Amino acid sequence: MVVVLITVGLLIVPFGGFSEYFIRLLAIIFLWIGKTGCWNIISGFTGYIDFGAVGYYGIGSYVTALLMSKGHAPFLISILVSGVVSALIALPVGLPTLRLRGAYFGIATLAFAEAMKQIILEFDKTVGVNFFEGPHGITLPIGPKNEFFYYIGFGVMIIVIGIAYWIRRSKLGYALRAIHEAEHAAELSGVDTLRTKVKAYMISAFFLGLIGGVETYWLTYITPHMVFDLLITIQMVVMSLLGGIGTVFGPVVGASFLTIIYELLHRDFPYTYTIIVGFIIVVVVLLMPKGIIGTLQTKRVIQKTRPAE
Amino acid sequence: MLLFLQSLLNGILLGGIYASYSAGFSLIFGVMGVINLFHGEMVMLGAFLTYWVFTLFHIDPFLTIPLSIISLFIFGYLVQRFVINRVVEEPPMISYILTFGIHLIIAYTALWIWTADFRTVTTSYSGFNANIGGMIVPYARLATFGLALLVVVGLYILLYKSEVGRAIQATAQDKEMARLMGVNINRIYAITFGVGAAITGIAGSLISTYFIIFPQMGLPYTIIAFCVVVLGGMGYIPGALWGGLVLGVVQSLTATYLNAGLSGAFTFILLFMMLVVRPAGILGKGVVE
Amino acid sequence: MGLLEGRNLTKYFGALAAVNSVDFSVEKGEILGMIGPNGAGKSTLFNVIMGVYKPDRGEVVLKGRTVSGLKPHQICRMGIAKTSQIVQPFAQMSVLENVLVAGLYGRNLSLADATREAEEILELVDLGGLKEIASGSITVPRRRRLELARAIATGAEIILLDENMAGLNPTEIEEVLKLLRKIRNQGKTLIVVEHIMRVVMGISDRIIVLNYGEKIAEGTPSEVANDEKVIEAYLGEKVCFV
Repeated sequence: MVVVLITVGLLIVPFGGFSEYFIRLLAIIFLWIGKTGCWNIISGFTGYIDFGAVGYYGIGSYVTALLMSKGHAPFLISILVSGVVSALIALPVGLPTLRLRGAYFGIATLAFAEAMKQIILEFDKTVGVNFFEGPHGITLPIGPKNEFFYYIGFGVMIIVIGIAYWIRRSKLGYALRAIHEAEHAAELSGVDTLRTKVKAYMISAFFLGLIGGVETYWLTYITPHMVFDLLITIQMVVMSLLGGIGTVFGPVVGASFLTIIYELLHRDFPYTYTIIVGFIIVVVVLLMPKGIIGTLQTKRVIQKTRPAE
Repeated sequence: MLLFLQSLLNGILLGGIYASYSAGFSLIFGVMGVINLFHGEMVMLGAFLTYWVFTLFHIDPFLTIPLSIISLFIFGYLVQRFVINRVVEEPPMISYILTFGIHLIIAYTALWIWTADFRTVTTSYSGFNANIGGMIVPYARLATFGLALLVVVGLYILLYKSEVGRAIQATAQDKEMARLMGVNINRIYAITFGVGAAITGIAGSLISTYFIIFPQMGLPYTIIAFCVVVLGGMGYIPGALWGGLVLGVVQSLTATYLNAGLSGAFTFILLFMMLVVRPAGILGKGVVE
Repeated sequence: MGLLEGRNLTKYFGALAAVNSVDFSVEKGEILGMIGPNGAGKSTLFNVIMGVYKPDRGEVVLKGRTVSGLKPHQICRMGIAKTSQIVQPFAQMSVLENVLVAGLYGRNLSLADATREAEEILELVDLGGLKEIASGSITVPRRRRLELARAIATGAEIILLDENMAGLNPTEIEEVLKLLRKIRNQGKTLIVVEHIMRVVMGISDRIIVLNYGEKIAEGTPSEVANDEKVIEAYLGEKVCFV
């Protein structure tokens, strides 16, 4: 009930006479919830921590940028193609890396994202074309106002969180959780662990690519350093951690919280935000590994099963 | 031909440096199973320590090495004892995230305090080069290479010829057994981390003599250490030497014959391929978690 | 031809043959016991059957079809399930959910069907009262029964039990044996590895004995108990065993 009220409330915000700044801020929060939600679908649910998520965001960004600036394609088509391309690339990347044990997967995906950045930076120079524009970046025509992106962002957020919610309660969700808890046992129980992991990875990549496309259109100018920035992945990680890694609504809490802190800090104290992010990581890992939502959930479960057996 | 040899030589010299600061990374992982993502920050701290001592007190960078050793050892020991030790029993992924958080804290605090300006340590002998058969090598680089090799050898001697070293090895191989033999595991962990930090600090000090230093330099070094150690075998110290040399040569040759930016891409692609195809390293002696 | 056969199975770890040219055959509804000193290769053999390891030589044949080389989840879906020596429950998931996963994926049931099946199986193994409890917090004997429940839920015709009764007291063992007989009477086939001799001797129709990776004896419990090679393997010397 509360959820419905909030949703309706959010839908009518742009008509409420709020400042441009506020609308923009909410849109940014929505998109971060979306990104974090994506990251959570692979890393939170399976426990395979993806440190290269920004790779797909960047790929999506460039696909949309190229389609819209050079191909004059419409926005919605572009972002869908972005998603598809990202998901397709996720397949050959995910298949070999998702076989690796935990930490190695993180390193490999990190290498993948960084390699993508370098490749796009150097591609034109090396091959002798004028395609990605290298470090100069791509500029898009100016697009619609913030309200447009507000609704797009809202829609994306609802879709991503909705998918996370649906996955959790579906057959796939059980497989993902089983993989997280005891992968070998899951395999022995009939779960095709590799295929399941790749599925989650591709879903995550699709939406990350799509969101990359959305934000590209909003920013109207992108460079490899901007869209393949490791800090984007890190924020997804921290937002998930803080909110509750592996929970459906953790990303909502974590992303909101951190984006607000960012807005408060980044103008006057640019480095402080990142330092705080670092501290949050340390504190959460040491003291509150389940994050906010996760810790609340555990308390509820303990109460439910308290009647001694 | 000369170009090839020069490039090769540069690669080898570079590789030696890589090996020296990757050895600590490998050691920490081998003994504690911790992937230390603020490893590069220890290089940075060593470099900046040398820089400030040089700039403020005009002491030659090579002479500040003992200072690096002591400070970084203490730093590493304390951080391990009070922060990292809580997660050593957990899966490596946890230490991965935790140490990344620490990386952010150190790197950005350094950025805040020291600003993003690039700095160099320019000594009276910085410009002098040796001429070996037509190839140019700065003396400082040769000295650095030599010292770097000494560091790796020194670490090897520490591990195999000293009491502490044997305790460290015992802990790495079989923790429970070591405990039963009376080894204080927590202290060994802290010492190991301190040693890893110290030798990385030495590398940092050496690096300050001919590379540009700046507060965010850490992360690329961490990534290189990764690559070196994966190539040579995680947890296998002599492998750091192999891995370092291979990577140094590959980077040098790519930079010479393709372009500098691509050598970065190559590093990552190489890392990716190694992890997927041969995670135990070239010689197959690494630990695959 | 048996329901499940192993032909000339060999698996090397480095230069050591953990399993060396082992042949075996199990008929439907049989309980085959497998014994042997520690390190004899019993767990390795199970892992080879289950697809965790690919045999270096030889093949595993299920219902006339060669399955060696397939992945564990495929072999599970074809009808073989294994319990692990070190129990691995899906700790944060409830007891019911643990069994549910097996039904969903081992048998490809719908959520509704799998849930119903899971509840029945939990009743069978006497864990029904605990179905909402997190599986990581139940006692070890119960976790072992949960392992068994999971194996049953996959719909497997053949269940490999790898020291499922280790650490249980005599009463608990009796209960598990009763359960195993019940399962066999429902038409399942079992291969049981246990160190507790009287358990294996008591429940098995036939027994095979492994030592240093090789099969050294095969037969009924009494035949095996009196086999010289078996006695020597366990006691290290030739002794008369009445």
